[in-house]
Amino acid sequence: METRTEGVDLVGDDVAINLARASLFAAVVGAFAYVSFPFPLSPAPVTLQVLGVFLAGIFLGPVWGGVALLLYLAAGALGAPIFSGGSAGLGSLLAEPTLGYLWAYPIAAMVVGGIVHRGTTLRDRQEIGLPTLVGAMVAGTVVIYTFGVLAMAAVLALTLPEAFLQGAVVFLPAEAAKIVAAVGIVRSDAIAAT
Amino acid sequence: MTLSYVPGDTLAHRLDPRSKLCFQVAFAAAAYAYTTPRGLAALTVVAAGALIVAGGGPRSLWSYRFAFPFLLVAPLVAGGTLGDPWFRIDRAVETTLASYRVLLVLAVAAAYVRSTPVRDSRAALQRTVPGRFGVMAGVGVSLVFRFLPLLTRDLTSAREAIAARGGEQVAVHVRMRLVATAGINRAFERADRLGVALSARCFAWNPTLPRLAFGRFDGLVLAISAGLVVVAIV
Repeated sequence: METRTEGVDLVGDDVAINLARASLFAAVVGAFAYVSFPFPLSPAPVTLQVLGVFLAGIFLGPVWGGVALLLYLAAGALGAPIFSGGSAGLGSLLAEPTLGYLWAYPIAAMVVGGIVHRGTTLRDRQEIGLPTLVGAMVAGTVVIYTFGVLAMAAVLALTLPEAFLQGAVVFLPAEAAKIVAAVGIVRSDAIAAT
Repeated sequence: MTLSYVPGDTLAHRLDPRSKLCFQVAFAAAAYAYTTPRGLAALTVVAAGALIVAGGGPRSLWSYRFAFPFLLVAPLVAGGTLGDPWFRIDRAVETTLASYRVLLVLAVAAAYVRSTPVRDSRAALQRTVPGRFGVMAGVGVSLVFRFLPLLTRDLTSAREAIAARGGEQVAVHVRMRLVATAGINRAFERADRLGVALSARCFAWNPTLPRLAFGRFDGLVLAISAGLVVVAIV
């Protein structure tokens, strides 16, 4: 029997911890797909995935927050039941009307993280002003809905106003509630992680 | 019922995951290029064939039910106008075809999910994406699969605890904050323990992966994929 010997190239502690955090954040964004809240005006129950995107940028920063959401997309494409309603598969990223929202998640996490931390080095969360925090999440929402509406128009052969009507108008009030919730989380010291 | 891997010995189960991924992309390209009644009829045969070869059926599509309202409403939104003639059939037909195309691509994706175990998907990802990015992607994806059930359970128990304390009465953004805080705290606790455990157990950039090999049928699937891409481009 053939024997192979190779050196072991160890991963540094920092990368190991950050990769574990990014992966677990991806899993929690996936788990958020199963937590739905009935919301006034919204035709479908609202899930917390976009809140997970905001918090990934805020708690992990633009780099690892972006990595977390890329891992979320990769795991979902390869069969983890983490897309809306517990669906999975590459088809959700290639053909579903909501594919633009999904592709926008990593970019939105990077945008939110980049604005909140003013670069790639993480700032102390207590130093982040309220306008910066809200502005970052509004920018993230704009990114998600721009990609989402453009892709929905393309996938379903709709005009942009039609896609906006079907894919954005009814969901935007719920995004405001998520921004309020995220501000509460960041300001409350309830998250123990540093 | 969620869509997930079902152990089996079908032809689809024996294929290399990389050829199945190529096939999905090629199929989607062909579906976008030929969103016509004839094109979609031909692709329906291919999609149904892929799902049957993987041992699936119409029920495999049930996990995509949340997309169905979008697909059903879209033709009405596209056809409706705010004045005479009030409804344009040509636009509604165009969007109906586009909605049907979505179903076909999802059927092919369902065939992959049914027939591919996580470790094979991980190996495919890690062998396709070069270098350390590939290793991180592979490890990260398998951790997402591993921890999803635990974190889902954490969130469910947090939600039940909040409801038991009368939390259903408070404003929706407060409930969102409580559930998300519980979920993220648990995720960070688990991640920090996991990070230490990974370092302690020689987490390496060069792990041993399951062996993947292209077989005879993979050649056939790759040839069909190439054919679909060619018809999509030409």
